[in-house]
Order: sequence, then C-alpha cells, then structure tokens
Amino acid sequence: MSEKILVADDEAHILHVVSMKLANAGYEVVTAMDGEEVVEFCAADRPDLLILDYQMPLLSGTEAAARLREMDHMKDVPAIMLTARGFDIDREDMESARISVELAKPFSPRELLEAVQRLLAGCTHKADVEAL
Amino acid sequence: MTIAKRLGLATIVLIALGVTSAYYVTMMALQTRSGPVTSFVFIVLGLLAVATVLVMFVFWHGIGRAMNRISGQLHHMTRTRQLGLVMTDGAQELQHVVRPLNELLTMLNGEMDRLRADRRELEIQSRIASAEKHHVEAIIYSISDAVIVTNRFDELLLANEAAEKLLGFDTSAALRKNIDGVISDGTLVRLIRETCSHGRSSHRRVVEHSMDRKGQPRTYNITLSCVVAPNGEVSGVVAVLRDITREKEIAQMKTDFVSNVSHELKTPLSSIKAYIEMLVDGEAEDEQTRQEFYDIISSETDRLNRLIQNILNISRIESGVVTAHREPISISGVVKQVLDVAAPQASAKDIKIAQQLSPVYYQIEADHDMIYQAVLNLVSNAIKYTPPGGTVTVKTAVDEVRRMAVCEVADTGAGIPANDIPHVFDKFYRVSANKKVAKGTGLGLALVKQVIESVHDGNVSVVSEQGKGSRFSFELPVLN
Repeated sequence: MSEKILVADDEAHILHVVSMKLANAGYEVVTAMDGEEVVEFCAADRPDLLILDYQMPLLSGTEAAARLREMDHMKDVPAIMLTARGFDIDREDMESARISVELAKPFSPRELLEAVQRLLAGCTHKADVEAL
Repeated sequence: MTIAKRLGLATIVLIALGVTSAYYVTMMALQTRSGPVTSFVFIVLGLLAVATVLVMFVFWHGIGRAMNRISGQLHHMTRTRQLGLVMTDGAQELQHVVRPLNELLTMLNGEMDRLRADRRELEIQSRIASAEKHHVEAIIYSISDAVIVTNRFDELLLANEAAEKLLGFDTSAALRKNIDGVISDGTLVRLIRETCSHGRSSHRRVVEHSMDRKGQPRTYNITLSCVVAPNGEVSGVVAVLRDITREKEIAQMKTDFVSNVSHELKTPLSSIKAYIEMLVDGEAEDEQTRQEFYDIISSETDRLNRLIQNILNISRIESGVVTAHREPISISGVVKQVLDVAAPQASAKDIKIAQQLSPVYYQIEADHDMIYQAVLNLVSNAIKYTPPGGTVTVKTAVDEVRRMAVCEVADTGAGIPANDIPHVFDKFYRVSANKKVAKGTGLGLALVKQVIESVHDGNVSVVSEQGKGSRFSFELPVLN
C-alpha cells in the first residue's frame, strides 16, 4: 500500500505540480488549500507525511501543524514546510510545529521528492535528515 | 571792589553819618532849643534816611534779580535735565557762590554724560538680550517637537506649545514650579532629574519612551541634554520629545511590504521553476500535459510581470514621473473589459458577478490603462475577500447635476473593521483581520487612490461593515 501524503498550498499551480511529482513517484496524494482544511482532514484521517505551505489563508502552516500536534495520532507525522518568506519566519512556531524539513520557495520538486523519500524511509529526526 | 561791597560800605557810612547826626542834633536841641538849626538838621537827617533806604533798595534789588536769574536757570536745567553753567550777568558779589556751584554743575554734567552713555550701552545690551531671548523662544515655539527646559532645581523654565499639548499643562501657571507637580509622566520626570544630577557638559542621551496621548499609545524619542553654565556646572536640562510613532509604523509597513512583495514574487517564480524542472525531468509524459505546463509557465511569467509593473506604477505615480495619456473613454467600457478578465477568477470561487452599467453614454477624459488597472484592482479585491457563493456587484452611473461619472464595486465579503477604514488606501497597509482571508501586498488600493485622485483629480471612497461586505466607489468628471 502506498504512503499517503497531504499537500497543502493555496496556490493551485504549486499544489498541482507537487501532486503530480509525488503521484508519479507512486505516492497517494491528498490536497488542501488552507490550514483549516488540513486540520479537518487530519481529524478524520492520518496521512504518513505532511507538506505544508508556510503562508496559507485561515490557518498558516505552522498554526495548522501546531493544532495537528495536539492530536494523538498526528504527533509523530513528519512534516515538510514550504516557505516563501526569508527573514520573518517565526522560529519558535517552527520549533513547536516540529517541522522536519524546511524548503524555501522557489523549490525544486526533485529535492522535495528526495526529502519525502528520506523522511518516509524513517529518518524523522531533523538532524538525521540534515545530515543526509 | 564789587557793587555790593561798595553799596554795603556806603550804607554803613550813611548809617554812621545818620546816627552821628541824630546824636548831635539831639544834643544841640536839648542844649539850645534853637528853631532854624533844628529844622535844618532834621532836613539833613531826613535826606540821609531817604538816601539810606534808596541805597538799601538798589542793593537788595540787584541781589534779588541775580538770585532770580540763577533760580530760573536752575529751574530750566531741572526741567530740561540739561546741566549748564549758571550766568550771573555781572552780579560779581554772587561769584563766590556761583563759581563753586558751576564747578559742581560741570562735574555733575560730566557724571551725567557718563551715566547716560552707560545707560545707552545697557539699553542696547538689554535690547539685544531681549531680541535674542525672543528669537530663541520663537525658535523653540516653532518646533513641532515638544521642548521642555528646566533649571538645576528641576523647575520648569520654558516649554513650547507642543509640550503643553502633549503633557497637558499651562506653561504660564507651571513656570518656576517643580516638574514633579507639572508633568504627570513619572518616567519623563525621572529622566530629566537623572540627566540633571548625573549630567556632564557633554552629556546627551536619547531614550525611546511610550506615552499615552488622547488614549492612544505613542512612541517618543526623548533627547535629554544638559545646559552648562560658564563655570562648567550643569545649570539645567533641555528635553526634546519627538513623536516617532508614524516613523515606526512606516518602518514596520516597509518591512511588511518587502516581506509581502518578496513572497508575492516568489510565488509565481516557484511555479515557473517547478514546472520547468518537471519538463526537464520528463515528468510530463504526454504532449497535452507538456502544453499545460508551458501555459502555466507563460501565465505565471505574466503574473510576475504584472506584479512588478504594479510596484513600479505606484512608485512612479508617487514620485510624480508618470505621464497620463488622457483620451475620451467610457467607464462602462473599461468595466466590461475588466469583468471579462476577472470572470475566471470569480467562477473558480463560485462568486456571482452582477453588472448594473449605466445605459447613458458618457465619456471621461482619462488614461485608459490606469483606469483599467484601478477597476481591476477593485474587482479582484472584491473577489478575493468574498467567500464562495457570494456576489460582487459592479455599477456605473452618471450624476448629471455634479457632472460626475461614478463607478461602484460592492461585495458580500469579509468587510473592513471601522478602525481600519481610514487606512485602507495607505500604501502597504493591510487589514490585520483579513490578512488570512487573502494574500496581498497592500498596494492595490493605494494604486487605485493614486490613479483616481492624484492623476485624474477624482475621488475614491469606501463604505464597509465587518462581516457583511464593502462598497468601494470612485468618481471622475464627465467630459462635456
């Protein structure tokens, strides 16, 4: 059974390209366009990995992740954060959201796929991922 | 010999003669009692007595006249406050009084001249000092920053109008009073005191301090400097309070703007990069998908360009280098073009667009591209901030009385809190409550305002209720 990845971004083109890249690699992809959709989905289901955009309507990536971390079944799900902002990322929020990998936009879908594969292979700890 | 002395001597001789004659006449009358002799002697005595009285009269009259003249001259001097020499007109007998008097007067005259010169000098200095004081006060009063000057006993010496307004005291009543009882802000009082007590001649410090003004928190930069007396001691403190609230807001807005713009630029750039990489990696297997990717790359490139154009336009309008290509255009025509472009954005969100365009044909003289941009910004904002299922209504009309063409864009969206309404047209300003509803740079409405008001002499306005929706409208003069 293929692993399920939840991709959230309010940009339809980004959502489309990431979904296609992951689907081509054999993953099952579900999409969300804002933070609340992410929380709603995870309340009922458990994806194996999260790819979240940092700035999304209703709930930001870190706010959504923080909410997910309060759910027992979502505590250890690895998360990748896509950021388009440089200097004003709230480090504390990133820390408490337990983000495993941070990818700055414009990102490479190839690198995103590699990060996904590494995380799903078991290296959920941030330090391990960065060491790879 | 002086007349007085001569007259005096003559008087004495005459009195002596008179007394001697009287003595002899009396003696002879007692001894002889002869009639003619007695008569002769009486006549002589009478003449002597008359002569004596005349001499006395002439003498005292001369003295009196001289005294009167002297007195008149002295009165004149008193009246005119001009000292001169006293002239006696030959009354030599008064010289021994007049000479020392004249010496005294000459000395006093010199003294008075010296005093007058001193007084003039003092007056000039006092006028200069007074002019300088007024000058300094005028400078201090004209400063829009609040200025407070205290002495070394922490008493208020000077405060300008801005300080009175800010700190809420009346300078005339507060002068020479300890600042403790005048300024209610404890921190400011402490800062002034510290500067005075720890101060050195070169001591100058700048402190950022927040104070409430009319219930609003504002930030001030307080510059505290010591006033140093010639002996090197600190004789007081000058405190200048500059309101930097707006500067801080602008700095924050700029930071937000750069952050927003970079985010906005990175978004289409991300798509372009990702789709190109997908093509390079051969992820698009069929021609149709590849074509779709090319189209996305192309449209995202256009989006990037539009964004850059928007930023450039607003900065060009602001710096006044933009030239409007005015031509007769119809607002309804522009609105139709905008709605054609915005239709896909609206239908993607399931938003209905209602058109109520004026059936009357009228034209305005304006730059087509700029008005198009303004209408587009209003319509796309309305779509962005309206939840799915809502309605965006675009109206055009003409006010025949005022000869104004009106365009109105109303939505059933998030609305704007009353506090934010005065600022929605400010550059970089974004309504905090709606930041999460949609992304933006805070430039769209600023551009609308610039285009309508600065370039085309029209005006823009907004009516909004939070949670119910907003109605933005602008009007431009109709072409005759």
